[in-house]
Amino acid sequence: MLKVKNLSLRFGGLTAVSDVSFCVEEGETFAVIGPNGAGKTSLFNAISGVYRPTAGEVLIAGSKSRLPFTMSTVLTVFVSALLTGCAAVLILNLTALWDAVIINKFIYDAAFDWVDCFWGSVAYFSAQNTSFMALPFLSGSIVGGLAALKIFSSTRVGPEVCCSFGLTRTFQNVRLFKDLSALDNVLIGLQNGRGLNFFSSLFHLPSLRKQEAANYKKALELLALVGLGLDAERLATQLPYGSQRKLEIARALACNPKVLLLDEPAAGMNTTEKLALVAIIKRIGALVTVILIEHDMQVVMGIANRILVLDYGSQIALGTPAEICVNQAVINAYLGTSSEVASV
Amino acid sequence: MKGSIFSTIFLSVLFSRAKASPLAVLLIISLLPLLFELIFPGHGICERLRPILIFAILGLGLNIVTGNCGLLNLGVAGFMAIGAYTFGILTVPIFPFQINAWLGLLASLIAGAAAGFVLGLPTLRLRGDYLAVVTLGFGEIIQDVIRNLDTITKGSQGLNPLPALSILGVELNNSHPSLSYFSLLIIIFIIVLLLRNLNKSPVGRAWSAVRDDELAAGNMGVPVMRTKLYAFTSGAALSSLAGALWASALGSTGEPGNFDFQLSVTALCIVIVGGLGNLAGVLLGAAVIVGFNSVFLVELSQFLNSAGLSGTQNVLATPANWKFLVLGLVLILMMRLAPRGLIPALKGSSSK
Amino acid sequence: MSDLEVLTQQLIIGLSNGMIIALIALGYTMVFGIVELINFAHGDLFMLGCFLALSIVGGVTGALGEAILPGSAVSILSIALMFIVVPFFCGALNWCVDRYAYRALRNAPKLAPLVSALGVSFVFINLGLFWGGLPFKVFGYGNAAAAPKDFPNLLPSQNLLANTPIFITWREVLVFLITIPLLVALNYLIKKTRLGCAMRATAQNKDAARLMGINIESVIGTTFIIGGALAGVASVVYALTYNTVFFQMGFRVGVDAFTAAVLGGIGNLPGACLGGLVVGLLRALSDQYIATQWTNSVVFAVLILILIFKPSGLLGARVREKV
Repeated sequence: MLKVKNLSLRFGGLTAVSDVSFCVEEGETFAVIGPNGAGKTSLFNAISGVYRPTAGEVLIAGSKSRLPFTMSTVLTVFVSALLTGCAAVLILNLTALWDAVIINKFIYDAAFDWVDCFWGSVAYFSAQNTSFMALPFLSGSIVGGLAALKIFSSTRVGPEVCCSFGLTRTFQNVRLFKDLSALDNVLIGLQNGRGLNFFSSLFHLPSLRKQEAANYKKALELLALVGLGLDAERLATQLPYGSQRKLEIARALACNPKVLLLDEPAAGMNTTEKLALVAIIKRIGALVTVILIEHDMQVVMGIANRILVLDYGSQIALGTPAEICVNQAVINAYLGTSSEVASV
Repeated sequence: MKGSIFSTIFLSVLFSRAKASPLAVLLIISLLPLLFELIFPGHGICERLRPILIFAILGLGLNIVTGNCGLLNLGVAGFMAIGAYTFGILTVPIFPFQINAWLGLLASLIAGAAAGFVLGLPTLRLRGDYLAVVTLGFGEIIQDVIRNLDTITKGSQGLNPLPALSILGVELNNSHPSLSYFSLLIIIFIIVLLLRNLNKSPVGRAWSAVRDDELAAGNMGVPVMRTKLYAFTSGAALSSLAGALWASALGSTGEPGNFDFQLSVTALCIVIVGGLGNLAGVLLGAAVIVGFNSVFLVELSQFLNSAGLSGTQNVLATPANWKFLVLGLVLILMMRLAPRGLIPALKGSSSK
Repeated sequence: MSDLEVLTQQLIIGLSNGMIIALIALGYTMVFGIVELINFAHGDLFMLGCFLALSIVGGVTGALGEAILPGSAVSILSIALMFIVVPFFCGALNWCVDRYAYRALRNAPKLAPLVSALGVSFVFINLGLFWGGLPFKVFGYGNAAAAPKDFPNLLPSQNLLANTPIFITWREVLVFLITIPLLVALNYLIKKTRLGCAMRATAQNKDAARLMGINIESVIGTTFIIGGALAGVASVVYALTYNTVFFQMGFRVGVDAFTAAVLGGIGNLPGACLGGLVVGLLRALSDQYIATQWTNSVVFAVLILILIFKPSGLLGARVREKV
């Protein structure tokens, strides 16, 4: 379901993630652990499109999470270049064209002849020196084409693209939409399966109302799944911290993902809340592939099928919980080697 | 005039405690001048309050962009100019187009939307502060274009005479001030209804999400660029509409110097004083700010003139010279005391 | 004049204007780097500095009883006096603005300080209007408060490159003489002193800086003082060069400086200088080769184009959001 190959992430001189590779099967619950600063969240950021990896690649459900260069892209770039070129020529000749076609041909109070205007413009341009028009046209097209290319290339990767390929996540510091209610937060996740249509929203067309009613029901179900059924109308910021974390999970689930990344979902929770969370994650794990970062070993050991251990950005172990517990490298990373302990 | 200022202040206090929908109350209040005009015609009240309505539309447009979607737009005046001059060029008798005034309004709406689209497409991915400079620059560019292409726009003379909108032969301008006022009120009512629809729809939610946290919104599948474009384009369209209505009611586009940065800042103040994202707040903000500028100060000047107290010798004695100081102090104090606007935004689920 | 000479002349004009813009842009960018605020009032602070300079000259003229001769000892002393008093005034005023208008808004939603800055800008504009209406000779006896005021000519206007068609007067020389050492000093301050280190630390991560024992408010206050002082220097140079003072001049100059700061990458000091020079050169070249009435649009069009291809400005770093 998710394949990470030789992923590296560098910020200037600092290497956050170095050459990490692993595979997560469908339906698995996979955990990433490691001491603080090991690069776990950076790994998530690289996978979910927040940062562009410096090296390596990420495959979600078998496909690279980037929008490809298709024929329609090339066509759009070409058309933009053409339009900008024409616009450049038009702008430079605007006043002269206006004089020739509108002012000089206009008789006060006579009806306006659009056909005449068209042929007048054609006559004007054919009377121009071609080399005179070539320079603005060429420079305009080049600028327009390059700009279109630049704009397109900035939309090829990123969080939205990852979501469209079926990967979504929660965040280490809760990032809910503060001015929206819990229900609205979940609705955001639900509504984007169908693209946003401005006009049906503007006039509240029947198709929209049906869609909204259906989403409303689904949102309430998701909130109930994480135990927030009674808090639907409350503002996201008014919820207690533990509920906020659960809301984030409900919101991510609303996007109908294939892979769900949970970044420290149990942080700041007490034991009871953690138990509830483990139950929720187990229920979710039956529906989607879950990858989670967590510090609490009891939570991890209880639900993970396999664990990846990171330290200083590199992967030091990968295996089942039983294997990780006895892995010497992991023990050294967490507790220090005997020489380090001795010098304390 | 002092009465209307007092009542707006009173109302804002009232709204923060009352449960009545501020929008409904405000719209009812705005019918009062109409009543006044019908009972005591000739005082020109509807005419003098018309700028408030036009600026309310301008504010509603900016509110979509800055209030709902969180994009700072400092070039609203440019879009207003586009609307006014599109209407002007297409309807003025000196050019051959001379289309119907209502069609002219529609054309301005489309022109504004197109301009917003073209400007927004390459620039909406910029950081907020950079976008602010770009929109500021856009406003300046439009002003220059209008001033310089004077075969098309008649430069500093402006385009006139422009036809007024008319319904069944009745002209909606100063010859029928109460009808003109009422028709503007209807237009505002329709716009407010449509905007409420948008706020309670997926698009409105997406706008809030992008404003609150663009990154998280992207991760949840919100098409960020498209959402911003929707906001920017519709905001531009509304601003253009305001410009066209202004030109139509005045019968002229006025000179290009009117559509300057100060206009953009006035619109921004309206949105902020009222409370970002708050429809009722925008209307109240328009009443307060434009009421102060165009109504209160003008009245005060006239009063001082007639009492023989002013004169050009003393710069401090002309009320108009205090305009900037008062507005500036109001802004500074508002940000310290009530940064969320005069009417605290009524938060709640949009699916209600 | 031959084409090359015209070009050279325009380059000289552009560079010297660019340096004035750069000085103001530095104020914008320093403040932005440290509090993430676009200080709209900065251009109007510059305007008030010009009014103060005019007042000083008026005072000197009044005390002498006669006009100051360009190039005389009195003019040199007046210029020196202005270069001391005006930056001090502007720096202090900027500090006050931060202390009383912006400081309370450090943790407010992002638009609040921006709107407050707009408010301060308006207050300054009005102060300029009132100042210009004061009943003194140098302000025209308060007859027309809103009209532009003439700033007396204090610099000799002979061409230093006598016998060539290219003009370099003491005005251009003064610009370079003042700004280049100032930029070098600023660079030294930022890179080599403890204060500069504290400023850079605060700009990068306030909380960490606080934990290291840096007094944030004092560093921010100092940044405002330095930025204001730079604007003050720029205002004296501008007044001496352009010989006119007008209460709404802050907007035009402020927008140019603001554009320059963004062009170079906001928060980036060398970027502000580069941006200032680029804007200055663009304006001069556009005035000469395109048309004066299109110059403003040309500058903005170039800005938009550059931002399309380099969204963080010419020298700006891509700001990575902490997730």
